[in-house]
Amino acid sequence: MRAILLHIALLLLGFALPVPAAERHSDPDGCFSCHGLPDLQYVDENGVLRVATILKKDYYGSLHGSVPCKDCHRKIEQYPHKPEEGYVDCSQSCHVNEPSKGKAFTHKDVVEEFKKSAHGSGHAPGATKDFHGGNRLKEEKDEQNPSCRRCHSNTPYIVAANVAKFKEEFHHTDVECGNCHQGETWRNQFSGHILRRLSGSHFSKTEINALCKDCHADQALMEKVKLEDPKTQEKKPADYRWVHASDSYAKTLHARLLDAGAMEGASCLDCHATGGNRHKIERDEQVGASTHLDQLPRTCGQAGCHGYANKPFNEGFVNTDMHNVDWLRFDRLLLLLREKRLDSTWFKALAVLGPLAVLLLLGSLLWTPFGKRKGAIAALLGAERFQRVIIGSKPNKSGKKQQGPGQGLLTRIKSALGGEKPSQPAAPKNNPAQASPAPADPIPAKEESQS
Amino acid sequence: MQVQVIEKLKAIPKIQKYRYGTIFLSCLLFLGPLALLPRLAGNTDLCGRLCMRRFYLYFPGMNLEDFFTHVSVALIGVVAFTTILVFTFFFGRIWCGFICPVGGFAELVSRSLNDRWKIEFRSLPQVQIRYGYLATYLVLLPALGISACTLCNFITVPRLVEALSGGVTGLAFIFSTIGLVNLSLLFLLGFFASKGRAYCQFLCPIGALDGLVNRLGARFGMTHHIRVDKQRCTGCNVCARNCMCGAIKMVDRVAVVEQLSCMSCHECVDVCDWNAIEWTTASRNKVPKRIKKGVEIHPEPDWQAVHFLPNKAAVSDWKRVNWARVANGLIFTMATLFVAATTLLLK
Ligand code: SF4
Ligand code: SF4
Ligand code: SF4
Ligand code: SF4
Repeated sequence: MRAILLHIALLLLGFALPVPAAERHSDPDGCFSCHGLPDLQYVDENGVLRVATILKKDYYGSLHGSVPCKDCHRKIEQYPHKPEEGYVDCSQSCHVNEPSKGKAFTHKDVVEEFKKSAHGSGHAPGATKDFHGGNRLKEEKDEQNPSCRRCHSNTPYIVAANVAKFKEEFHHTDVECGNCHQGETWRNQFSGHILRRLSGSHFSKTEINALCKDCHADQALMEKVKLEDPKTQEKKPADYRWVHASDSYAKTLHARLLDAGAMEGASCLDCHATGGNRHKIERDEQVGASTHLDQLPRTCGQAGCHGYANKPFNEGFVNTDMHNVDWLRFDRLLLLLREKRLDSTWFKALAVLGPLAVLLLLGSLLWTPFGKRKGAIAALLGAERFQRVIIGSKPNKSGKKQQGPGQGLLTRIKSALGGEKPSQPAAPKNNPAQASPAPADPIPAKEESQS
Repeated sequence: MQVQVIEKLKAIPKIQKYRYGTIFLSCLLFLGPLALLPRLAGNTDLCGRLCMRRFYLYFPGMNLEDFFTHVSVALIGVVAFTTILVFTFFFGRIWCGFICPVGGFAELVSRSLNDRWKIEFRSLPQVQIRYGYLATYLVLLPALGISACTLCNFITVPRLVEALSGGVTGLAFIFSTIGLVNLSLLFLLGFFASKGRAYCQFLCPIGALDGLVNRLGARFGMTHHIRVDKQRCTGCNVCARNCMCGAIKMVDRVAVVEQLSCMSCHECVDVCDWNAIEWTTASRNKVPKRIKKGVEIHPEPDWQAVHFLPNKAAVSDWKRVNWARVANGLIFTMATLFVAATTLLLK
């Protein structure tokens, strides 16, 4: 339900910032006679209030402003029509000629690419059979995979962020290039259509990530996803790592750069859909996928990223875990145990370092009020070595390095716990080099000068 | 207990109080929920464009273009780091000693804890460990695919401070496996290290590179660095005891400053009763700045920047090997060979 509302909101938002545009087609089917009315609304069978108003001004300023309604909404034959008849098949070719090539335009390539992707097929039960790419209204209830509309609304022809740049460039082509290139054809094909693409991409990296996160950051939703084993065709719930992929990505420098507004970071699509194939998101296991082991050097080594990744000796680098679950919050311990996460090196390091840190913390907290403070206070560990190496106390005549007084850690800890002065250390039996006995008090008072 | 705390506070030399003040101030400016300075650059932490730790990493076969990509990503960090290095050349490691909120935070916490439950790291072979780790960090870890961000003090401390003020990002970081490992390291090498600077001395690549520049700068007479007047030093070793970096070692009863480790924190200057150690240029005929106990000390000091020198015994006795030097040499040679070999092979 929320998702539906979100779509409507997105759709409306898409219309909210249009470039004012002249009427680009004459509404041959007369759709605007109803849909042009303000406040045209209905409640669907789920009780969701849906807005059916299409403002002419906004529509003409949108990406599909030059496409008459029925080019996409083909099933609508008569009035009144059912909402389902509004479904769109994005792989159909429309009657509009694509300006730069002059051929009938179609999204077929994209739909084909999408069909083969992880979102279009593979693990998606039923998605391939009647996938028409269009605007399923109820997708979030019945379907695991997204339709086109999950990510694409009919946004303004030029997104607000690019308008200033577009205007400037348009002016340039009109004035400078226009000396030779005159006429509407040039304006339509180059200045208008191609320039729009050159002036900046429709989605920024953060917007792309927002689209992915719209589903993938919803852990409850992701836990329900069933992935198909490519070999056995068995459908299993996705594992912990997959469910939290969006979280673990957020901890990488790629994501943190984008969060801070530095566009050098890599978006989801920069790695998962390379080479301009923005819809070809495939699973790692898929041979040829941009995140497949064999392809990683190419993917990481894209222009402007890590150029050296293609070269030998960087195998370790390209295999750096970009979805490292060790960055994730610790609170799902049970889940962690279930997923055998204790094998991780970080866990092992923590098992050693953590208790040590806690021990010191507790000891220090207890010692501050209760510890005895007679004489100079020495550190728990390493105080003798400091004395010997830095202060150079009692070097013997031959100039040889004095052997350690042999006071072990255990003695130190005992004396620390008991608050007693360390006792005269016993010379280690198997240490014949011990030349002179250690000083009785290894820590001379602060002001005492070296004799 | 209160009396002790007050006594402890009173015992802090005056200039050191200012230093703690500047560190505290920069903690406020750089860290926490406010993070005022990073915010000027649109950041809430010291990462990303502000990162001073990543752009010089070496990846096998990288070319200048790749390097410039790294530089352009972290441009603010590069500018800051360059400024720090230039300052260090002329004035010693002022950034590390007086400003850096990361090392400074650990130091302040450590100094406010008792001295008993601490680990004394200062006498370890610092130079070898630091530059051994630096070489690994620069050339080996990138190729192995261990991200510089996983063991980074510049993310741990800001996130910890953020977490302490209830920040969500900070809490999420601290309570992750990697976050907890980093926190443990901060405890062991920061809070519970004697004087709190072990993280700086062993694991911080910024500090390690800064140390190299510091030592280079100290070779020039006109730069300000911590210098010792050998004629005056009485060998009382108070400075060595107090040096938070373990940079001072008593050699033949004279304090010798290891410029690779010294952070120009001035504590040694403050505690030396004999005006034998100063933050100064090497120029002669300088009137001593401070006259202690009303006594002016003559003759005029001849300040030298002294480094650890090879043991006399090691020079005269061929059987004794100076292992510290051997280790330094090995680290340098291995790293250079690795870079040279990969560059040549991948041409
Ligand atoms: S975590 Fe550390 S190394 Fe990574 S970007 Fe931040 S400061 Fe740089
Ligand atoms: S060594 Fe690193 S962490 Fe320590 S003070 Fe210097 S820059 Fe900061
Ligand atoms: S405190 Fe001064 S006199 Fe004492 S060892 Fe250090 S430099 Fe020499
Ligand atoms: S040698 Fe002096 S200035 Fe340098 S770190 Fe040690 S105490 Fe500070």
